[in-house]
Amino acid sequence: MKTTILMTASALALATATVSYAADSSDPIVIPIHNWSSQIVMSNVVGQILEQNGNNVEFVTTDSQAVYESIRLGDVTLELEVWEGAFGASFRAALEKGGIVDVGDHDAVTREDWWYPMWTKDACPGLPDWKALNDCASVFATAETGDKGRYLDGPVDWLKHGKERVEALGMDFVVINAGSAAALWAEIGAAEADKKPVVVFNWTPNFAEAVWPGEFVEFPAWEDGCDKDPAVGPNPDALYDCGNPATGYLKKAAWEGMEEKWPSAYGILEKISFTNPQIAEMAKLVDVDEMEPDEAAEVWLEENPDVWKGWLSSGS
Amino acid sequence: MSDSTPVISCKNVWKLFGPNPKQYLADMAPGRSFDEIRADGYIAGVKDVSVEVGRGEMLVIMGLSGSGKSTLVRCFSRLHDITGGTIEVDGQDIGELDENGLIEMRRNKMGMVFQSFGLLPHRTVLDNVAFPLEMRGQDRHDRRERALEVIKLVGLEGREEYFPRELSGGQQQRVGIARSLAIEPDIWFLDEPFSALDPLIRREMQDEFLRLQEMLGKTIVFITHDFDEALRLADRIAIMKDGAVEQCDTPDQIVLNPQTPYVEKFTEEIEKSRVVHARVLANPVNGTAPEGEPVRAGHTILQLARQLVNDAREELPVANKKGELIGVMNRQEALDVLLGKDT
Amino acid sequence: MADIATKIDTDTPGLPPMRIVQLMVGLALVLTLARPVLPDFLVRLPESWIPPLADWLDYFFNVIVIETLRINELTRWFAEGPLDFMLGFTANLLEGKHRWPFVGPLPWSCVAAVAAVIGYYLGGWRFALLGGGTFVWTAMVGQWKIAMQTLSVLAVAAPLAFFIGLLMGIAAWKWNWFDRAVKPFLAILQTIPFFTYLLPAVIFFKVGPTAGAIATTIYAIPPMVLMTALGLKKVSPEIVEAGKMSGSTRWQMLTKVYIPSARTEILVGVNQVIMLCLAMVVLTAFIGMPGLGGKLLAMMNSFKLGRSFEIGVTIVLVAVMLDRFSKAWVVKLPEHHERGTSWFVRHKYLVAAVVGFVAFLLIAQFVEILDKVGRRQSLSMGKEMDALIKGFLAIDAVQAITGWMRYFLNVWVLIPFRNALLYIPTPAFILLVVSFAYWLGGKRPAIFAATFFTIVAFSGWWDRSVITLYSVISAVILSMFIGIPLGIFASRSEKWSTRILLLCDTAQTFPSFIYLLPAIMLFGVSDVTVVLSIVIFTTVPLTRYTIEGLRNVPGEMTEAADMSGATKRQKLLSVQLPLALPTMAVGFNQAIMFAFFMVIIAAFIGTQDLGQELQRTLAGTDLGKNFVLGMNVALMALTFDLTIMNWAQKRKKALGLS
Repeated sequence: MKTTILMTASALALATATVSYAADSSDPIVIPIHNWSSQIVMSNVVGQILEQNGNNVEFVTTDSQAVYESIRLGDVTLELEVWEGAFGASFRAALEKGGIVDVGDHDAVTREDWWYPMWTKDACPGLPDWKALNDCASVFATAETGDKGRYLDGPVDWLKHGKERVEALGMDFVVINAGSAAALWAEIGAAEADKKPVVVFNWTPNFAEAVWPGEFVEFPAWEDGCDKDPAVGPNPDALYDCGNPATGYLKKAAWEGMEEKWPSAYGILEKISFTNPQIAEMAKLVDVDEMEPDEAAEVWLEENPDVWKGWLSSGS
Repeated sequence: MSDSTPVISCKNVWKLFGPNPKQYLADMAPGRSFDEIRADGYIAGVKDVSVEVGRGEMLVIMGLSGSGKSTLVRCFSRLHDITGGTIEVDGQDIGELDENGLIEMRRNKMGMVFQSFGLLPHRTVLDNVAFPLEMRGQDRHDRRERALEVIKLVGLEGREEYFPRELSGGQQQRVGIARSLAIEPDIWFLDEPFSALDPLIRREMQDEFLRLQEMLGKTIVFITHDFDEALRLADRIAIMKDGAVEQCDTPDQIVLNPQTPYVEKFTEEIEKSRVVHARVLANPVNGTAPEGEPVRAGHTILQLARQLVNDAREELPVANKKGELIGVMNRQEALDVLLGKDT
Repeated sequence: MADIATKIDTDTPGLPPMRIVQLMVGLALVLTLARPVLPDFLVRLPESWIPPLADWLDYFFNVIVIETLRINELTRWFAEGPLDFMLGFTANLLEGKHRWPFVGPLPWSCVAAVAAVIGYYLGGWRFALLGGGTFVWTAMVGQWKIAMQTLSVLAVAAPLAFFIGLLMGIAAWKWNWFDRAVKPFLAILQTIPFFTYLLPAVIFFKVGPTAGAIATTIYAIPPMVLMTALGLKKVSPEIVEAGKMSGSTRWQMLTKVYIPSARTEILVGVNQVIMLCLAMVVLTAFIGMPGLGGKLLAMMNSFKLGRSFEIGVTIVLVAVMLDRFSKAWVVKLPEHHERGTSWFVRHKYLVAAVVGFVAFLLIAQFVEILDKVGRRQSLSMGKEMDALIKGFLAIDAVQAITGWMRYFLNVWVLIPFRNALLYIPTPAFILLVVSFAYWLGGKRPAIFAATFFTIVAFSGWWDRSVITLYSVISAVILSMFIGIPLGIFASRSEKWSTRILLLCDTAQTFPSFIYLLPAIMLFGVSDVTVVLSIVIFTTVPLTRYTIEGLRNVPGEMTEAADMSGATKRQKLLSVQLPLALPTMAVGFNQAIMFAFFMVIIAAFIGTQDLGQELQRTLAGTDLGKNFVLGMNVALMALTFDLTIMNWAQKRKKALGLS
């Protein structure tokens, strides 16, 4: 399969008239791969685009938080999915230390918040309003939570402030922190069998949308300063008394030496921008159609030439 | 170096085990006993031992376990460094040898056989036997030739490619013997070589050993805890207890004239007539030699038993192999050896 | 057991030991009961007393090690130079990475053929089937490439661990001071949570396979050092003397006498190196090790139970294969050939391997399926398995049982227990631990327990440490109820012993991460899930050592019991169990060590313990905090290790079993 890629690569390279991208170093561009599908496929897609540009590409599996430190050190060249909510903090910390640059946003927006699978609506029809959710808190009760509802938040280190919000809005919920994304999926998966109502932390774009249709809970809309100024939001005395921003950014980042070492590839990276449906499509190829990531990337590139050809041909 | 100089000569050798043995020995009052030394926190492995081994002689060191016999023989080859005294091998003080000198000496002069064989389990018979040759860097072909020769000598032809664990105990010890002979050593140490074997095999191996010794005529230090074995093989026997040599003498003398109570206890159960030779009982001819057929000097009293009982003479002439008269033996004295003294 | 422990210590002057224990426990009780009136600093150490250990360590790493000594430049050079070259070499051969010598990847059928021949050489047809079968399975389920990525790193890490371990083992045997210096270091290495050296591995050796290889190597070194030193010490003195009398130089002694004679122990060390390397396959995925582990995590994060289970099966198969092969190699002794046997017959296995390799290499050029199995051709049953698991979980009876267990254990057992432990004031807690160590192990372990737990108290992570300990204790106690009866049952017959031991092997090598998801699906994100997933792991050594202890009771003793007219029950209770107890204690100790290992992984379910904090540090660069947390886990684990092993040794000596 590798050979077919290389063949198409060289064919395309000839067809698109190999102008002078010669400035790019022949050292491999190291693209990090994390453990969720859309990012893996997107990385493969971009990797194959860069290969067609004549670059050498290597993939390395890394932790999605630790990767910013690796980019700073130049061990990893770029990062394609910097989520505002999840990785904003790590990214900003790395920016301050230096060695990493912001390469612009994707069109796609990200959202992270309390979420429930569709079947939950049967037990609590007032959803997605948060007040309705609070009214049927007892529906979400479990052995350990007594008569309060149970909300499964993301891992503590994601800093989602679920507990603070419950207090600020006076909700009858107990916040439990899952240890990993996989733990969240397992809870939803377990609830699916009996269509048990659950409310958990979730985000978009994400493969889960394709597996379990669902909705975000509508909290009081995010206002700037909700996390810093108690006066902002419905509760005048508390922070975190509103929902998360519904349109968070999805950024690209790169090692600061990339522009100099691989100018042409850097040019392409600047142009790259995917939309929410495109990202969902990439994830679906792997999660639902069960393809291998490199295969999925090939298929996606084949099916969506108009999206990416433009980035390549004007790359010089 | 003439034949009369001893091959191994050790003088006042001490080997102490403990925290600071050299210092302790230097400060120690003379004549301290084994138990007193032990009370001071030291074990006297070898305690003031002086013996010599002549060329072609077989010295058997006999003692119970813990008597220091194995320690002493390890001092001879400097597997143990001694605490005091000197040991000379062929006139060379081995305590003064540097590491290379020591390795050279072991590579060319000494061979040793061990109680539990000490074979290298991952090597075939051939490679085990050739091991000392390999260590001294002999080329592959040469060492193979030589190893095959010794293997044949100990009767293991056809087993060259076997691994030690595929052989019986007796066969394994033959490998051990072959290995120790591979470098054609002048001095041969055998540390209870047959103790781990069952009695029948042991007897067979002793015969085999005597045959080899007759052929090779090596200088031998042989260790055993078995008094019968010692009597059977030895030119001289050194009996050890608590690190010290109690008595060092020929078997006949040990049996006839035990010098300490400890040695005497050993000899009590021994059938003396099997050990004592006519030559030992022969007194110088005083006046005229007695009449008649002489007895052979090399025969034991037991071998002469019938004659002793039947013969009526008071004094019997003793003659050596060539038929020369060497002395006369008192019949009553000989009968005492045979039957025990009347008490 | 109480009188056993006290009897041993009767030579201690002063108060009788039992009285000291009673005093300490009494004092702890008083402190606990008086908690409401205690001054605050006796309940928990005030924040201001806690030294900023993490900051000091950070300073040490950042300023001294990295900025001043520039150690990282050396390690980086090693990682990017020789290490990267070696990894590139194996990666090219096995998975076809674009590196020198640019010949790979080898067709899967070649590898399978060679594995089958090696298997046949080591253990006949069954092993040939195991060796060939493992690789056929791997290729058929479409995991060839990722499996080879994993193996290409292990093929570098395992030999590296072997050589370093061998050299260190020789040094430890040769020089007493080295032995003494390295022992505590190895003990810490064996108890410190793996997350603690993942982060330094990344910082010093670059994220990716290089860091993965280094972390794996470090993790696998300790047993190799210990086994090498043990083996060299055990070489019979006569063999040594025989070597010396043959005129060997020191070098010849080492290479031709000592090391070959210590073959068995060294090979046992090799076996353990391999097993530990495999244990790291999934964990190193966090720092960029490609292959099975990385894929497993990705599969878990997209909730593909079936596929992650398949990866687990591959890891188990590879582990069982390498384990069995290396164990067979330990007992495989050379056989002699009659003289005059031809070269080909003498080397028939080598010839067969080469022939098989070349044959499949050629055939694979024409038959593509023997070269690579594509995704569409593979026989992965991921989706079907997902359906099966989900179907099982949907059964009402299953849900009723798990629901009840979750309620009972959480509400009535675990949470009250945790709250009770957290209620105990810090000094009282330390007193309790110390009195336990004193009662069981004696003076030395008690001193260690006091020192170690005081350090933990001053580390500033007391509550999280207590919660970690709570999970460990709960899990070990629970697994005793399962493991010991299971072991007693299995030890009664050879057949069941083998079966249960095989089960133990499998449970131990199956990547623990895979348990987590079904466990959460059964019991939700709760303490029950955490404890039960640890129990799966801790039951294994308890069962194994119960079986071993009972089956190794000397035959005369059970016969004597039979002849005294003992019933089966009497025999078990008054003869077999007491004699097996020291061995079982080793299992108990191992269970605790496993629990400390697993409790960290359980952080992925959702806990509030040290593991969770450790997991957080992975994402950042807090080397100092990372070390403090790891040290806490190691110190607690070492306390138990020292205490129990001390007891087991004394007991063995007392019974004349050692």
